[in-house]
Amino acid sequence: MFSGWNCVAYGLCLLLNICYFEASDGLVQSCGHIIPESPVLALGSNFTALCILNESCLDFGNIYANQIIWKINNRVVPKEQYREINRTVSSVIFNDTSSLATLLTCNVLADGQIEQNIYGITVTLGLPPEKPKNLSCIVRQMSQLTYPMTCTWNPGRHTFLDTHFRLKYRWPQESFPDCIPKGANNSCTISDVQFFVNLELWVEAANALGKAESDPLVLDPIEIVKPLSPHNLSVNSGILPTVLKLSWENQISGAVMKLKFNIRYKIVGDTNWMQVPPEDTASPRTSFSVQGLRPYTEYVFSIRCMKEDGVGYWSDWSEEKTGITTEDKPSKGPPVWRIIDTSRSPASWTVHLMWKALEPFEANGVVLQYEVTVRAKSSLSSPPEKYNVNTTNLTLKLPNGTYEVTVIARNRVGASPPSVLLIPARNSKAPVKNVRTLPKDGKLWVGWTAPNSYVLKYVIEWCLVSNSSDCIIEWQTESGNVQGTYLKGDIKPFKCYLITVYPLYADGQGNGQSVKAYLQQDRPSKGPTVQTKKVGKAEAVLTWNHLTVDEQNGFIRSYTIFYKTIDGNETAVTVDPSKTEYTLSSLTSDTLYTVRMMAYTDEGGRSGPDFTFTTQKFGKGEIEAIVVPVCLAFLLIVLLGVLFCFNKRDLIKKHIWPIVPDPSKSNIAQWSPQVPAKHNFSSKDQMYPEGSFTDVSVVEIEADDKKSFSEQDLKPFDLLKKEKSTSEGHSSGIGGSSCMSSPRQSVSDSDEGETTQNTSSTVQYSTVVLNGYRDQTPVQVFSRSESTQPLLESEERSEDHAVGGDSTTQRQQYFKQSGGQDETNADRPCFERTKQVTPANEGDLVGFAQLQISGQSSQPLGLGLEKNTQEAALPDVLQASTEGQTVRPETEEGNPLSVDEMPKSYLPQTVRQGGYMPQ
Amino acid sequence: MAAADSPSAALRRRDLCSRGIRLAGKMRSDVISLLDTYVERQGLDASASVAAVEGVPVAAVEHWDEQGGTQRLLENLAAYRAFRTLLAQMLEEQREQLGEADAALGRALAAVLLQVSAFAYHLEELLRLESSRGPPSEEGAAAPAPPHLGLFERKLRGLGVLQELAQWAVRSARDLRQLAKLSPGSSSVPSPTESP
Repeated sequence: MFSGWNCVAYGLCLLLNICYFEASDGLVQSCGHIIPESPVLALGSNFTALCILNESCLDFGNIYANQIIWKINNRVVPKEQYREINRTVSSVIFNDTSSLATLLTCNVLADGQIEQNIYGITVTLGLPPEKPKNLSCIVRQMSQLTYPMTCTWNPGRHTFLDTHFRLKYRWPQESFPDCIPKGANNSCTISDVQFFVNLELWVEAANALGKAESDPLVLDPIEIVKPLSPHNLSVNSGILPTVLKLSWENQISGAVMKLKFNIRYKIVGDTNWMQVPPEDTASPRTSFSVQGLRPYTEYVFSIRCMKEDGVGYWSDWSEEKTGITTEDKPSKGPPVWRIIDTSRSPASWTVHLMWKALEPFEANGVVLQYEVTVRAKSSLSSPPEKYNVNTTNLTLKLPNGTYEVTVIARNRVGASPPSVLLIPARNSKAPVKNVRTLPKDGKLWVGWTAPNSYVLKYVIEWCLVSNSSDCIIEWQTESGNVQGTYLKGDIKPFKCYLITVYPLYADGQGNGQSVKAYLQQDRPSKGPTVQTKKVGKAEAVLTWNHLTVDEQNGFIRSYTIFYKTIDGNETAVTVDPSKTEYTLSSLTSDTLYTVRMMAYTDEGGRSGPDFTFTTQKFGKGEIEAIVVPVCLAFLLIVLLGVLFCFNKRDLIKKHIWPIVPDPSKSNIAQWSPQVPAKHNFSSKDQMYPEGSFTDVSVVEIEADDKKSFSEQDLKPFDLLKKEKSTSEGHSSGIGGSSCMSSPRQSVSDSDEGETTQNTSSTVQYSTVVLNGYRDQTPVQVFSRSESTQPLLESEERSEDHAVGGDSTTQRQQYFKQSGGQDETNADRPCFERTKQVTPANEGDLVGFAQLQISGQSSQPLGLGLEKNTQEAALPDVLQASTEGQTVRPETEEGNPLSVDEMPKSYLPQTVRQGGYMPQ
Repeated sequence: MAAADSPSAALRRRDLCSRGIRLAGKMRSDVISLLDTYVERQGLDASASVAAVEGVPVAAVEHWDEQGGTQRLLENLAAYRAFRTLLAQMLEEQREQLGEADAALGRALAAVLLQVSAFAYHLEELLRLESSRGPPSEEGAAAPAPPHLGLFERKLRGLGVLQELAQWAVRSARDLRQLAKLSPGSSSVPSPTESP
């Protein structure tokens, strides 16, 4: 800043050369000057400057003092501050120099217009120095003979000027050269001082505006010495295991000062220092024996010194030296405890004895071995067993009983006092109560309520409960007069510890009381995984597993189930932490739900994965309520249908399973006179082995007999009868050969066939009667066929008329039994058959049965219903008919039918489904 | 002696005696140390003993215990004023001889010189307390101009000065201790066993 203004001023001076004239001697002179020249002013003081014009300039340039203008940094000073002393001198007055800038110039207005600079000065502002304060000195010993003294002081305010400080000192009779600070204004070091003579010191500060001196400080430098610390410190162990001897050298001569000392020490690894009582080291010395140390312990020592009378400064602490005390015998026996394993046999224990290694301050040396003595209390006669072990545990197999275990630690010097543990046969004494824990100061505190009896000591067992590792028991003992302690071990946060407290008595011990605790809890590391066990229409049963101990990180205080639909609000339900199942109710049916579950500890919760499920559309029983009736209805319908079909089975059978004639049952075989001899097949004997048909009666029914039935009875069947008649027309049966016929075996007699054709102008067939149907050997009987039609087709058609093989069989059986009655009507067995089966309304069907027998004897009726009715009606009817009539078919076979009757049996039928088409 | 009657004067006297004794002890310690350095640097024999050097006061005296306090102080003052002059000459000669090459020796000489001056001041103060006339003027005791000696002679003379100064340091300590015994409240004065 200052340099900037100087440049400006310099520039102005160059520009204003017009105010300079060349003197006769050749030098350039200005037309005036300012007094004072470059003053140094105190801030806030008054200042008056004079601008004096040269007389020569008056004549040369017509410049006078009244034309002078004062400027500060090119800013015109108000004219009120001007004063024209005479025609060549003008003055300016500044009441406060703090407004004064660096450059003050004297200018004139030449010819009343042109401003020209006459002269300029640089004004320096500042403050006079303050009186230095707080002068203090210290003599820091640098070597055995070098004692430089450093004095410091407060230099006071900033003066804005170049201010010089000097430290002055002198003896009363002699002065010394000043100490001039280097690189600082508040301290100075005198290289060497002499002791035992008072030295007067003071600080002088001086600048352009003045000088100031501090108050003098008179002292003997020996009183402000900070000596060098003792060196060559050595530590030696003494005879006693609790003493170490220190030796050192002082670096300051006793002639200069007498010293006192401080000795500090600590165990290696500790942080806190201990100190030898100062009064023990208040006199000059070069050695000291430190007592009361622990045996076989390494200590660190350090020492410092100062003037004996305490005047002056302490030296720095010396370098640290270590020393180790000698060994002593262990001060106490190792704490001992046991774990008893009774799992193998209740009568035999596996006792794990364990004891803790003594702390260094208890072991007092290197423990070489432990001596364990086990004495059975129950049998005092047996000698105690002794074991020498190097480890801190011993496993023994002992019979169940009371034992006294003694453990002694031994080092090079001697043996410890014994530690005794009583192992009772069972823990019968009073346990502690109210075991509780409390995390405190990063440690876990365990408290309990003592039993009423006197407790020798307590054993606190604990172990980390984890899924991944076994519960490794740690333990510690506490004296019997405490009711709480901190667990001494590496207790980790977020881990569950099982803590058990055992009271030990002089004559036994109490059961352990346990509690679980955390040093510090955290949120669970994961949330429960929830899933549905059962989902209903409006409810869902959720199930989950408890978090593992490692996942809990604390005591699970509650579970919260959050569930929501896709677009609905989330609902939370708090669940007791002991539960693993919960039923969500009031759900909406057939809706997708998302459910998750949070487990909470005292420190917060964590959510498990989302799980989705959809409620059912129907509730429990709803489907059953719908399906069962439907099924029942269906079954009912089916049943009705079956019943209906059963009732109409013949009709159905006719349409679905037309009767295929069995050639073996063809009646034509009966026409052949040779046949009877051939009929005697063993198969028939087998079928009727007992020859039950001992008597045969033939009933002939005349076609006209139908008239014997009342017309009224026949009316209902007229239509039916017509149908039957037409259907009979395409039957292959001749004269009622409605049973099976075999085309292969039916060989027609052409002569007879022609006769038949001529007679009826219809197709006549021969029927081959086979005696074996299905399980019977076919009868090799050939009957004449009156048919000109292919036999097979007629047989196919004849199935519509088939009544059943049984009837035929019976009929043939009948023929056989009757001893070659070839003319036997083929229908007869059918009637007999039906007669045997029957149950039905006889009254309704009597007339119909008579109609059948009389008018269409050769044809079985197509509908089962009719057949049944026939059967039902038959008993009485047959009784009557068999007495006075012969069977018509027999007549038909022997004698061709009359012209009136023939169409009923042989006329081709109109085409209908399942019907016969004549060729 | 009148001045010593006031309590402050007694305290002042005791303080001067105490510190004088310590100063004498330190001076002796430093002179002994300086002697070793001086002998080594000047190439002299450590066992060399200078019987007597002209102008150097002798510490030994007969009937020492019969001397009075003022007399003791006056003898001491005369001796130390002489030593101050001699040491100043030695310092000058040492600077001329060795220049700044052996600054340690020069600093040690200067330190001893300062201590001699300080001790002389102590003696003067004590004399002011002991006698109303105060210490004698130094002009009367001005040392004679140094004789023109050869280099070796100067070295020997320097050795003699330091050896005698060491002797005087011992004697001065005893003188001051003796002086302190005569004054009341001398408990603060170091015992003879403590003195170096």
